[in-house]
Amino acid sequence: MQVSITVNGKRYERNIDPRMLLVHFLREELGLTGTNIGCDTSQCGACTVHLNGKGVKSCTCLAVQVDGMDITTIEGLAQNGALHPMQEAFWELHGLQCGYCTPGMIMASTAYLATNPSPSEEEIRGSLEGNFCRCTGYQNIVAAIKSAAEKMQQEPVGV
Amino acid sequence: MTGFLNTSVTRPDAAGKVTGQRAYPGDLVRPGMLHLKVVFAERPHARIRAIDTAAAMAHPGVVAVLTAEDVPSNGFGLIVPDQPVLCGEVVRCVGDRVALVAAETPDAAEAAARLVVIDYEDLPVISDPHAALQTDAPLLHLGWGTNIISEFAIRKGDTARAFAEADVIVEDEFSTTWQEHAFLQPEAGIAYVDEHERVIIETAGQWLHEDRRQIATMLQLPEERIVVRYAAVGGAFGGREDLSLQHLLALAAWKLRRTVAMNWSREESMIGHPKRHPVTIRSRWAARRDGTITAVEAHAVADGGAYASTSQEVIKVIALFASGTYEVPNITSTIVAAYTNNLPTGAFRGFGAPQAQFAAEIMITKLAHALGIDPLDMRRRNIYREGGTEPTQVTLPPGVSALPVLERCIAEAHTRMGHEPPAAPYLRRGIGIAAGIKNLGYSFGYPEQATAAVELYGDASINRAVVRVGAAEVGQGTHTALRQIAAEVLQVPFERIEMICDDSSAAPNAGSASASRLTLIAGRAVHDAARAALQQWHEEERPACATVQYRPPATTPLDPVTTAGRPNYAYGYASQAVEVEVHLLTGQVQVLRAISVHDVGRVINPQQVTGQIEGGVVQALGYALLEQFQMRDGYVTTPHFSSYLLPTTMDVPEIIPIALEHAEPLGPFGARGFAELPLVPFAPAVAIAVYNAIGVWLTRLPMTPERVLEAIKKQHTA
Repeated sequence: MQVSITVNGKRYERNIDPRMLLVHFLREELGLTGTNIGCDTSQCGACTVHLNGKGVKSCTCLAVQVDGMDITTIEGLAQNGALHPMQEAFWELHGLQCGYCTPGMIMASTAYLATNPSPSEEEIRGSLEGNFCRCTGYQNIVAAIKSAAEKMQQEPVGV
Repeated sequence: MTGFLNTSVTRPDAAGKVTGQRAYPGDLVRPGMLHLKVVFAERPHARIRAIDTAAAMAHPGVVAVLTAEDVPSNGFGLIVPDQPVLCGEVVRCVGDRVALVAAETPDAAEAAARLVVIDYEDLPVISDPHAALQTDAPLLHLGWGTNIISEFAIRKGDTARAFAEADVIVEDEFSTTWQEHAFLQPEAGIAYVDEHERVIIETAGQWLHEDRRQIATMLQLPEERIVVRYAAVGGAFGGREDLSLQHLLALAAWKLRRTVAMNWSREESMIGHPKRHPVTIRSRWAARRDGTITAVEAHAVADGGAYASTSQEVIKVIALFASGTYEVPNITSTIVAAYTNNLPTGAFRGFGAPQAQFAAEIMITKLAHALGIDPLDMRRRNIYREGGTEPTQVTLPPGVSALPVLERCIAEAHTRMGHEPPAAPYLRRGIGIAAGIKNLGYSFGYPEQATAAVELYGDASINRAVVRVGAAEVGQGTHTALRQIAAEVLQVPFERIEMICDDSSAAPNAGSASASRLTLIAGRAVHDAARAALQQWHEEERPACATVQYRPPATTPLDPVTTAGRPNYAYGYASQAVEVEVHLLTGQVQVLRAISVHDVGRVINPQQVTGQIEGGVVQALGYALLEQFQMRDGYVTTPHFSSYLLPTTMDVPEIIPIALEHAEPLGPFGARGFAELPLVPFAPAVAIAVYNAIGVWLTRLPMTPERVLEAIKKQHTA
């Protein structure tokens, strides 16, 4: 099936198997392997990307369903070589250990901040209930998101 | 220039991890590679009458279907090679691998795997270790002659006499269940044969050189012909100590002379690596009226599953810690690990210490209650002190900090806990405090060493330092910590130090990322190698190069008659306090806050220390309350994250990590390991807190709402 999907600002025309999941489209068709697969059953959230600006688990939708839409992956978050404040915060505040959940965490949290730019800690925790981390105990992840939110309030960025 | 320690150097690998650029094993797949698919047994116990691969071979795109006869030496295992690489005669658990399909696409490999026809004759399934130990039980490994994988006993003093003379005796029985590592990155990797006829495997793991050894044995090749490289490893926690698919990748690459790739699903991961041992422990403890513990008797049975893995070593740890962190003059501790048709069990953060001390910490509390003594005073009176004697009749290694760690935990709990009442009449709150001990490094005579090489380049000053140390970065941050240690010794900026750690042909063997040992032992090897290289540098060697193999003081097996011996060269100590809220109507236990106090010897990187403690606490919380890996008649009933529940952000309490610095004499700058310790006292601390909240003991893990409600009901009936 023919699809036209914009990923990280670039339009891709592909002829794909209609059964192909979005996450496989990103990883295998486009070679964007920053989006990880952790569970196959939509629990872990490692595959979270932005679909028209909203956080979506890319293992839960077919690539054909997003025909004509805009996708942002972890590879598209940095702008002109400058890391997104959320990426910086995860790095600086040790919001990761093995890092496998990190792209999903960063995409989920940036999407959430777009709807709630100044969340409480409780709200941040609630927004991440669909994203597993097995290494950090989540403490530094929550701290990183809080710090990024504060920074972004001072210096708004895109996405 | 000083000050590379106790500083939160941000980890260099984080750049690639926050941008999606860092490659995990599953990211290494490229066009043109062959895709592998395992045909799992999917039944717990059966004789293989025939394997028909014709239909699979005929499937378009299929290149080969490998079976047992293709494996040069068909057995592997960390300690005993009792696990077939591909089963040819018998399957003993649902995770057994029977055939390996190689095809041009993943879809073709998957479709063809379903076309492999295996004619099975089902055999009786033993799903309970106690049943496996019955004299008339069918043997799971005929050549082994018994269903006992291993048994172990520690005897000290005269237990019978101590019980006869005791003022008070308490008894109870405990049971724990499987825990799944649930590292987020499922097993994956690629393999190929290079121009030097070497088999290169790029994957994830916890010990490059042990993976290499086992693969070389399987292929009957010299170790130099095998190269294991680790890509970014997406968590491990002990679950990557055993080979899972690394050897299958190597086998296919070697046989087919093509680059091969394999990427497991979560379900394959769940059945494809060992779990934490389920253990039942019958305990009897005795004390004098003044609160001195006089005797501990513990008899334990562990479910080893279908293959030995590290059961033999795990049960020694369980037996050793039957008396917890306490000095007891009379001990009888026995344990047996049995083969069953369940999934194999092996290493998981804590390596037996959590199971043993779940029982021990509840027992000391019950003993205190029976004596009318404050359970914390009971701990203070009996806890290990410098110069104390171990259950194996030797003096504890120096650096015993159990008491100051406990005291700090008690003080913190006093300040931070128990100050708010519950918000509703059906909620009850309680606080629980428990202590824990865990060996650092290998035990009981298992060969222990770490090797590191340091090269210094430059002229007047050191422009570049290269540190080679084969220590696996599994997320814990070891490469950052080891680099900080090198920077501190060399007084060379962090950025000028290059770490070479992920290639078995380029980095020397530093042992496994396990047993809380890398900072201590690999760190010491790096420290010593850097010092030796620096010495040469001062003697005008250019470049200056030094390789050091660090061997800590030797441990020994136990004397077969007296059971005396040197079990370990170092220990880590922790104490934890938890405050819980129990919902009387639902049985739900909510941990409100947790204090986790650890002696880390010397803080190398504060961020990483707190990160390890917090992550460990949350895994421990899962172990205590949520995580219930289930098998029925040998079949896994929780093969996904939809049925195996992991802690989410919403389950996580306020966590207060505290690191104390009582130097470990052997450690680099006094640093000691601690990363397993959060798993040790937590579950009993929760059980004690629940008891303090509602007055009932939960002695089975996990403490699910159903079990809590059942216990409350029983209390009402009584």
